[in-house]
Amino acid sequence: MAEIMPKLTRLERRKSDLLLTYESGDELSVEYVDLRHACPCAKCAPNRNEDQTSIDLRESVEKLANKKPKVVTIGNYALSFEWEDQGCSSGIYRFERIWALANNKDPDNGKPYVHGPW
Amino acid sequence: MSDSPVSVHNPNEGQPQDEGPSAAQQKQMEQAYAQMKRKMSMQEIGKKIKHKIMVLSGKGGVGKSTVSTGLALSLAQQGHKVGILDIDITGPNVPKMMGLDGKRLHVEGGRIHPAQGHLGVKVISMAFLLDDDDTPVVWRGPIKLGAIQQFIGDVEWGNLDYLVIDFPPGTSDEPLTVAQSLPDIDGMVIVTTPQDVALMDSRKSIGFAESLKVPVLGVVENMSGYTINGKSAPNSTVEIAGPGGKSISTQADDEGNFSVVVDIFKKGGGKNTAEEFSVPYLGALPFDPGFVRGGDDGVHRIVSEPEGHSAKAFSEVVAAIQEQIGASESSSLEII
Repeated sequence: MAEIMPKLTRLERRKSDLLLTYESGDELSVEYVDLRHACPCAKCAPNRNEDQTSIDLRESVEKLANKKPKVVTIGNYALSFEWEDQGCSSGIYRFERIWALANNKDPDNGKPYVHGPW
Repeated sequence: MSDSPVSVHNPNEGQPQDEGPSAAQQKQMEQAYAQMKRKMSMQEIGKKIKHKIMVLSGKGGVGKSTVSTGLALSLAQQGHKVGILDIDITGPNVPKMMGLDGKRLHVEGGRIHPAQGHLGVKVISMAFLLDDDDTPVVWRGPIKLGAIQQFIGDVEWGNLDYLVIDFPPGTSDEPLTVAQSLPDIDGMVIVTTPQDVALMDSRKSIGFAESLKVPVLGVVENMSGYTINGKSAPNSTVEIAGPGGKSISTQADDEGNFSVVVDIFKKGGGKNTAEEFSVPYLGALPFDPGFVRGGDDGVHRIVSEPEGHSAKAFSEVVAAIQEQIGASESSSLEII
């Protein structure tokens, strides 16, 4: 049975991570580096398909300033993060993705990224 | 060719001269800049407009534009600042219903200024950009998407309490684009009529809203019942032949006045659908031929008869929507 995701009610941008408070009372955090490594955009996502390119992606985001991002709501289903530095700000993070990251789960469910129609 | 024995190397030889970007590059840069400005503007608009309500239906012809304009006018009657965005690009008819037929939009400083209809409601519609009513708009998806984003990002709405967004029927590009472009949408109002076909399609709309993660504010049943008023002998029993020849009886009052509601398209289907999907039922709107006349004449029923039966029905639906918005406001995401 699929796990039911509680509603995200509060998001606090801290020095190096997001503090997330859910309606269920869960208080979880996601490091900015983990968030950026998990960027779902078409440019970043294919880099997580291979171990080495995934490591390279992680190293590249670790080198960035990773200061508090600007958070933008996308409709009622997702958030995007605008970073001050030169890194990628294109990804649209569905709430399910943020919930998976906060619970230290693979937000891609082990599926490789494939370009083109699904 | 030169006779000189000395050859001079020019590193720029064969290279384009440094004359700045080409016309094509310049155009690309301008487009990217306009897109960036539009994206920022859409976020700003999100802050300036307190509530954004999408009005959808699975099936055509259920009275979506009538409901959209009715909701907007009913909200304006309460003293709110209201706008309507008519996203029905191929069949825009909100301007006609708002008495703005033949009006043009005012553009200043690269910003589109909405036209103002009854009760000061601001209106943006594709109809304002067409040369004549008979010109069809034949656009593929990406062009429609660009037009919708322009309608959202390039319009100077000012501060609004409510923006009502009227869509074409179905679950296609238009609501998807709006849901992805406009931040903090309060939710969708699903319009239906009581027939089985309309209800079946409304169920699709509810599923669509769930997939977009846009809350369903509720279901409105339009064309719910037609009221026949008449005069007969005082205190007499009046019999009327209803749909399918079914007899409907009512009692005339002391003065002989009687009133009976005929459910032309069945009854209660909207409520049943709402219960089936556990979404709120916002109420029923009567079948009122005055809407057709008002729509054609550009004077909405709510404007011509602000205290009438239909205006009251609309104000009840608006109250139900406001209750839902209030409930969702208290649970919105706090970002600090």
